[in-house]
Amino acid sequence: MPGVSLRALTLRYGDVAAVESLTLDVKPGELVALLGPSGCGKTTTLRLVAGFLTPEAGEIWVGDRCVSSAASVVPPERRRMAMIFQSYALWPHMTVAQNVAYGLRFKPQLSRADRDRRVREMLGVVQLAGYEDRYPGELSGGQQQRVAVARALVVEPEILLLDEPLSNLDANLRDEMRLEIRRLHETFGITTLYVTHDQAEAMVISDRIAVLQQGRVVQVGSAEEIFHQPRTRFVAEFIGRTNLLEGVAVSPDAVACGPLRLRVAPVGLEPGARVVVSIRPHAVELVADGGVGSASNTLDGVVKRASFLGESVDYEIALAGTDVVIRATTPATRRLRPGQRVTLHVDPEACVPLPDQPAS
Amino acid sequence: MATPPRGLAGRLSGVERSLPVWVLAALGLVVLMALPLAWLAWISVSSERGATLAHYREAFTDTALQKALWNTVVLAFWVGLVSVAVGAPLAWLTARTDVPGKSLIRALVMASFVTPPFLGAFAWVMLAGPNAGLLNKLWREWTGASDALVNIFSMPGLVFVVAIYTFPYVYIMIANTLALIASDLEEAATGLGAGRLTVARTITLPMVMPAVVSGFILSVLQALALFGSPAILALPAGFHTITTQVWSFFHFPPKTETAAAVSIPLLLATALLLLVQKRLLGRRGYASVGGKGGQRRTIRLRGWRYPALAGCLAVMACAIFLPYSMLAKAAFARAWAQPLTRDNFTLGNFSFTFFEYGATRAAIVNTLELGVMTASVGAGFVALLAYISNRRLVPGHQIVAFLALAPVVIPGVVLAVALFIAYTRPPLLLYGTLWILFIAYLTKEMPVGYAQSEATFRAIPSDLEDAGRILGAGRLRVLRDVTVPLARSGVIAAWCFIFIGVIRELSASIILFTPNTRVMSVVIFDLKEEGQFGAIAVLGLVMLALTFATVSLVQAVLGRDVLGVRE
Repeated sequence: MPGVSLRALTLRYGDVAAVESLTLDVKPGELVALLGPSGCGKTTTLRLVAGFLTPEAGEIWVGDRCVSSAASVVPPERRRMAMIFQSYALWPHMTVAQNVAYGLRFKPQLSRADRDRRVREMLGVVQLAGYEDRYPGELSGGQQQRVAVARALVVEPEILLLDEPLSNLDANLRDEMRLEIRRLHETFGITTLYVTHDQAEAMVISDRIAVLQQGRVVQVGSAEEIFHQPRTRFVAEFIGRTNLLEGVAVSPDAVACGPLRLRVAPVGLEPGARVVVSIRPHAVELVADGGVGSASNTLDGVVKRASFLGESVDYEIALAGTDVVIRATTPATRRLRPGQRVTLHVDPEACVPLPDQPAS
Repeated sequence: MATPPRGLAGRLSGVERSLPVWVLAALGLVVLMALPLAWLAWISVSSERGATLAHYREAFTDTALQKALWNTVVLAFWVGLVSVAVGAPLAWLTARTDVPGKSLIRALVMASFVTPPFLGAFAWVMLAGPNAGLLNKLWREWTGASDALVNIFSMPGLVFVVAIYTFPYVYIMIANTLALIASDLEEAATGLGAGRLTVARTITLPMVMPAVVSGFILSVLQALALFGSPAILALPAGFHTITTQVWSFFHFPPKTETAAAVSIPLLLATALLLLVQKRLLGRRGYASVGGKGGQRRTIRLRGWRYPALAGCLAVMACAIFLPYSMLAKAAFARAWAQPLTRDNFTLGNFSFTFFEYGATRAAIVNTLELGVMTASVGAGFVALLAYISNRRLVPGHQIVAFLALAPVVIPGVVLAVALFIAYTRPPLLLYGTLWILFIAYLTKEMPVGYAQSEATFRAIPSDLEDAGRILGAGRLRVLRDVTVPLARSGVIAAWCFIFIGVIRELSASIILFTPNTRVMSVVIFDLKEEGQFGAIAVLGLVMLALTFATVSLVQAVLGRDVLGVRE
């Protein structure tokens, strides 16, 4: 089972760089999600890996084979990969069984009986036994999705590529299929690249997430690393909701945001550097007026708005002495009213200082 | 660790093995288009002593040609006006009102659209010729007058006969546009206090205007390029149009240089008019105007429903009922001008046409051969071209699309002049064979087939092919397993469109045929000289039967009517 290595890949459409010097290593058997907003180059990256596009610079290696470079591209049909498309791309003129069996036609060492058996088995795995003779048009969206999965897995590819495979499903089915795809990955262990713009999907499915911005990988890591230790303002804003407070470092672990002084996670700040402090709403603890906070990172504020969300309550709180409004999410067990004075406390570990570059 | 492949071998291993197919098809297209047009341009300025403008000077100082030009302008302008005057109300009635028999009207407009105009012209000679014309005879019998009621051999007669087969262009443009304008736009204005007329003037009309003007231009272009009807109606009336004039340059001794010099400006004028039309429609091709848009309110005609229907049927009487029944009558009559009594009934015209008169049999065989061959080769060729440009398979795929659509601007006679010049000399001596007609038809019908094929491939997402590639199929294999089965009905439709175009083609054939390579349309034209109206009628019916059989095939395959897709 080989891994995939993308080395300084570049592809431009006209003057616009779709992928710019993109580097990423996917270990054997690993599932990496390419996550980013639309237009970040994630689908282009996937199509480069599949061999549908030729890079202008850089190389793609599968194990010890170079499959793409500016000089030469191994065509898609000789890459031993499989791909699942956003549209599923099922052939409407073929039955479910014919769709799934198609890739096996190109494995001459398989006998007809072997092929039939593998198709049957795979349809069993995706819970579509008995649907062999249906046409794609006669299936629901979720069933079509399963056919697409079966068609890709039955050829036992070295590399599996998925291009937003769940975005055409409704919300409930999507949640179910996320777990299903993760389960299949754990069963088959195929090296997988998974393109999505949905952070929750990326978090559930992948071993690691590569966040893409304007054709570059800006951060790679596990879901937790990326959520708790975003490295740029873009990543902090794109993954989950966050509060961003602009300020200036005053010591290696403290930032002054106007009159406020925050102790932050120790990353060795240069005093005087401009930084942005990211604080997740759920990391903000609220103590009703008069409650005793701990010594550092205790702030005063007034509740401006409270939104009841069922399992939690979302607050907007104006910090005293500043024009900063901070959002806090707390369990719904206790309610504060607009206008009420509160004391906030944030664990310094939850205050992540980021270099202050606008998200360009 | 293996090193990445480099050098020539590396490059070649990355090249698509299917590439030669695409490149060859694209090059074939370039040769097909460039060779005749380059010769046309060259011959128009060539002389023994190098380049010259003498041919142009000669052509355009000739008073006969000036007259023919003026006649063409008059004809085209009036045809445009009449087409709008007929097509626009018809389109509005069927798109927006509760006029009864809408599907019948639509079917009849379609019938008028596919009727070969020269057959209509023949039928109208029998209906409204000054002496023997049926309508004139009836007029004289009823009124006792000695003069004819109408004379079809005249400019107004010609305008009438051309317009009844060109108004469908206006109809299609306007009906499609009206279908796109949601009536809530109009209702919004009504809600703001505008009266019915004000709404029509300020909302509906400005939105429909581009369609009206481009329908007008398309009709003008048809009239400009038409050869058959002017040859049948204008020549006996003693005047030429530009197409008949160009044709006459080929009477012995042929004046090809002059013909070329007239052809080039005609080509440019057509191109210019089409450019204007495209600009008017903006970037939205009318062929792709679909049935989107909001709710449309039906306008209730109340007491006017049946008068409106009667108006529509009157138009159809001129375009379809009268000419068709006249042809049918002439096919079965000994003397076409006499009532179809028992004594006058005969099947002799059929046996004469099919068995006795050698020229007709050969022509029917030639026409069918050319029709099947051109449609088959053409459908395959345009499918390749459309695939190349839709999937961007070769560098310069935009040029492929441009060239495949370019023959739209080439009137049939101009194409014939160009092909005559190009293929009466080495390296390709095709004049005198069916091949030159084949090339003429292939070129002329290419845009229609291409537009159809392009729409077909646009409807097949490339994901479906990519899915096959990544699973192990090469591009040609995917083409066979996925693309071709899915494109089949679209390709059959393209085949039919080309076939219909070929069997009715006259304006290029009339210049390119030789005694051994006559086709049905040419024989019909020749039979007129001999006064064989019975045989003309029989051949006409055969042509119509072939046409309508093919049209029904398209409708069965595509599940929609021909008007929706053809320009």
